[in-house]
Parts: sequence; C-alpha cells; structure tokens
Amino acid sequence: MKRHIEIGILYSRSGNYRLVSESCRAGAMNAIADVNADPVVPFEFIPVERDPQGNIDRYASGCADILANSGARHIIGCVTSWSRKEVIPILERAGGTLWYACPYEGFEANEHVVYTHACPNQHLVPLLAYVVPRFGADGFLLGSNYIWGWETNRVARDLIADAGGKVLGERYLPLGEVDVARLIAEVQATRPDFILNNLIGPSSYAFIAAYAELGRRDPHFRPERCPILSCNLTECELPALNGAGDGHLSVGPYFHDTSGADRGAASVSSVMPASSFEAAAYASVRTLAEILTRNPGAQWTDLPKVFAGTSFRTPLGDIAIDPQTQHATLPVQIGRIDGTSFKTVTLTKGVAPDPYLSRYDRTETFGRPRLRVVS
Amino acid sequence: MSKMARIPNLGGARAFVLHRPHPTVQAITRQLSAIGLEAIGFWPELPAEALAADFVFFDVDLGFDEQFPWKPGEAPMPLIALIGSEAPGRVEWALSHKADAQLLKPVGNAGVYSALLIARQSFEARKLLASEIASLRQRVAERQTIVRAVEVLSKGAEDGRAYAQLRSLAMSWQISVEDAARRIVAMTQEEGDDDQSDRA
Repeated sequence: MKRHIEIGILYSRSGNYRLVSESCRAGAMNAIADVNADPVVPFEFIPVERDPQGNIDRYASGCADILANSGARHIIGCVTSWSRKEVIPILERAGGTLWYACPYEGFEANEHVVYTHACPNQHLVPLLAYVVPRFGADGFLLGSNYIWGWETNRVARDLIADAGGKVLGERYLPLGEVDVARLIAEVQATRPDFILNNLIGPSSYAFIAAYAELGRRDPHFRPERCPILSCNLTECELPALNGAGDGHLSVGPYFHDTSGADRGAASVSSVMPASSFEAAAYASVRTLAEILTRNPGAQWTDLPKVFAGTSFRTPLGDIAIDPQTQHATLPVQIGRIDGTSFKTVTLTKGVAPDPYLSRYDRTETFGRPRLRVVS
Repeated sequence: MSKMARIPNLGGARAFVLHRPHPTVQAITRQLSAIGLEAIGFWPELPAEALAADFVFFDVDLGFDEQFPWKPGEAPMPLIALIGSEAPGRVEWALSHKADAQLLKPVGNAGVYSALLIARQSFEARKLLASEIASLRQRVAERQTIVRAVEVLSKGAEDGRAYAQLRSLAMSWQISVEDAARRIVAMTQEEGDDDQSDRA
C-alpha cells in the first residue's frame, strides 16, 4: 500500500468568485486523483480541505487549522490577492507553503508561496503590447475595489503613458456591486480605445452584459473597435456571460483547446483542464508530487534548490520555476472570446517571470515613440 | 518636482549590504535578487567601488564612521539603516548618516522593496532640495551685482525703472535676473577697459 501524504486545499465553494475558485479546486482534485492513480508515485495524496466560503476572514483561520491539525505542509489555495496576503503570516509562522494558482498583480516574492499562474509581465504587459498598435492607446480602467484592481490599474497607467496614450477614466466598484449604469455612461462619454476590466465576479458579468447593450446602440463600443481586456477571465466564467463577451480579449497561460489538438496537455492530465485556473492548480499539485517523490520531506526551505535547473511536465507545458522568485515560466496566450471558449490570437512560449517588472523596457514593449508633427 | 516614480526600474541596480555575515544578509540578499538587484555583502569596510552603488544597506548595531568611503551625511546614494537595537545612541548615529529609510532586524520575507522605494524617493527629494538651496544661496550672493547693474542702467535716473529694464533684459535673454546683472556689469567693465586702451 502507498504511503499517505496530506495536502491542504483552501478554496471557497461559495461567494463572489465561486466560479474561479471551483475551477482551481477541480484542477487540484483532478491532479490528486491522477497522482494517486500513478504507479510511479510512491505515495497517495490525502486532501485536507477547508472552505472559507468567500469570507476573507476565514482564510487565515482555515490555513492555520490545516497546518495545526494535519500533517499537511503544502496548501493549494486562495484566489484573491487579499486572501493570499491574509495567509502569508500564518505560513511564515508554521513553516508552510502556499501553491497559488491564480494570476495576480505582482510585486511579491514570498519564500512561502509558489506562484504558478501569471504575473504582470505575463499578462498585462503583453496584452497592452498587443492591443495598443491595433486599437489605440487611450484606455478606461475598471476594477473591483481591492488590491488586484488597484495595483493592476496602477501598472496599466504607466504602460498607457509609455505607449503615448491617455487614461480616460479609472473607476472602482465594491466587490459584488452590479449597478454599472454610471460606469457605462462614463465609458460612453469618454470613448476610449479599450477598456481594461479588473472587475471580478458578478460586477464583471454585469458590466460586460451592459457593454454589449451599449455596443448595439453605438458601434464604437463593439469589440472590433473598443474591446474589453481582461487578465483573469477564463473559460470557467464564460457561461456566466451568456455570449455578451464575444469578441473581447483575455490573456492567460492556457486556453482549453476544444478541438482536442492540444496533445501536450492531454498527455499529462487524464482530464483536459477546462481553464487556466484549473490547469495551474493541476500543475501545482503535479509539481509538488514530483518534488515529494524525489524528497518526501521537502519543505519550503528545500524548494529553491529543487527548482534550480529542473522543469516539470504540466498541462501548461514543461514549466520551470524561478528559484529566486518562485514564479513559473509560462506560455502567454491572448485569446478572443467565442461563446464558451477562446480563439487564440497570439502565443508566446516560455516567458520568464518578472514579478517586480525589473526588466520592463518601454521601447521593447511599445516600439520607439512616434514623433509628432508640430509644424 | 518631477512626477511620482512610475514602474520602478530596479533591474540591474547594485546594492551593497554592510553587515557582518549573518542570516540578516541572506534575507536581504534573497529579497534583493528576487526584485532583480545585484546584492554585494561587505564587512567591516565598504570598498571604493561602493561609491558607484545604487543603494547601500548598513548595520546600525555595530556600525562606525570609518566604514564608509564618505563623510557622515554625504553618501552619494540612498542609504537604508538596518536597526536591531533601538538604543537612542545608535539611532542618533544612523541619523548622522542621513539614512533615507530603515529596516528592522530580524529581516523576514518582506520589507526590502518598500525600503528601496522610500529610500530612493527621499534621497532624490533631499538632493533636489539641496541643489535648490545652493542655487538660492548663489542668487542671494548676487545681490551686490544686481545693485551695480541697476546703477549702470539708471545712469542717475530713477532706480525703479532701471530695475524694470533689468528684468525685461533678463526675460529677453532668457536668463535669471542675477545672470543678466552679471552680464551688464561685465559689459560695462569691458567698455571701461576699451576706454582705457583708447587712451593708451
């Protein structure tokens, strides 16, 4: 019989971002099933699960509970940056590791966290580099009122300035707010070239639906003229849009290939991940299993050594994890929404993480600034 | 003042860490490398090349003036004080070096990034202020020149109009009133010299 190793699962099964959270959880659970069925892996993962129910105050306690009352030292979990920041002090005190499988705003590199989804140089920077030459540089920035929206929009302001554009508006809604009439009126009045949508959950769905309605009244606001851009919208939320998102753009390390041609992902996972959240959570568990196969007692202190010079087979491709920042090297894909899936418009493989944008170069991103004719 | 720092391009910057070999140095080095800086540890003295560093972290607990290749308070880059014991004498010493930011020891998983940004911003602000003060001092020192230029321009007439004329000359030459005054005084001196040569 295989040895048992406990692994923490900390995903909300209800609340505003339930669709995302469930998608991550599905990836983690599928990976645990695959690991347990894999004859090469000398142990079985036993999930120790806590459900914070979308309540921010229950993440730290859930994390502490897992670390205190089970043998689990590794936790797969958290969706919002707020919840990640809540659990970090607990991880530091108890010597645990969080495997974080969601895109985030960057500017963090904690030794107790492994970041397996995209940071800004793998989402926002390439997305704006694609959009600006095709649609224009003037943007309207939206966000839910917490750190993801604030910080992503802050970077976007700088990028837009570097691209020679203007920020025509920046607005935040409380989490869960669905009254978007004011936002729509402001977007209509300012006529930007694109909208950067960092709203999450129901606020985002309400905005996208209202924007589709606006596009029917005024052709400027159709996706081919003024697209909505997202850095965290995946297949798992597309059903909630009922087609209103068609033609708009999102960026991520993975899109579910409905044609079944993605043999890479299919050969790794028994279930093709339905979204990048699912793929990244799956990748986290499989990577951890590979590490624990080689070194059953591996803890947070061992991780940088293990990451150096190793790559891991995952549905995201063979990925490396930078030992200095513990962020994954990932593919970057930009996709156009088409019903309940994405059509990939660009794909760049192997983009190394740069969570502090220390290597950001405006000329490389947006080309030489065009000189204006002044005479 | 110039606008707030944008995406702070810290990649490739060099930071010297003046601290005896200790886990504190490792913790700082790890954070610096993750942010994209090159970290160089030194103890007990900073080498000459530290003069070209972009940042210097220095130990306050065991530090002393002779460790630095500059006089206290004259560091040519942002300084970050590493404070363990908060003994008033030690804090006073750190202040004498005009530390731009501080980190409390033991250093954990965070703190370096904000210390870098705060140190850089307050260093830049301090430098800007110092250069403004220097230029104001210089302008104050030119009072005498202005009086002489007004004398030259007024040629015995009303001083108020002569001063207005000086200002409008400065404006059309696009230089400060002090520089314009110096130019006028210099011109009259040259004329004086010419007169003398004529006479010779």
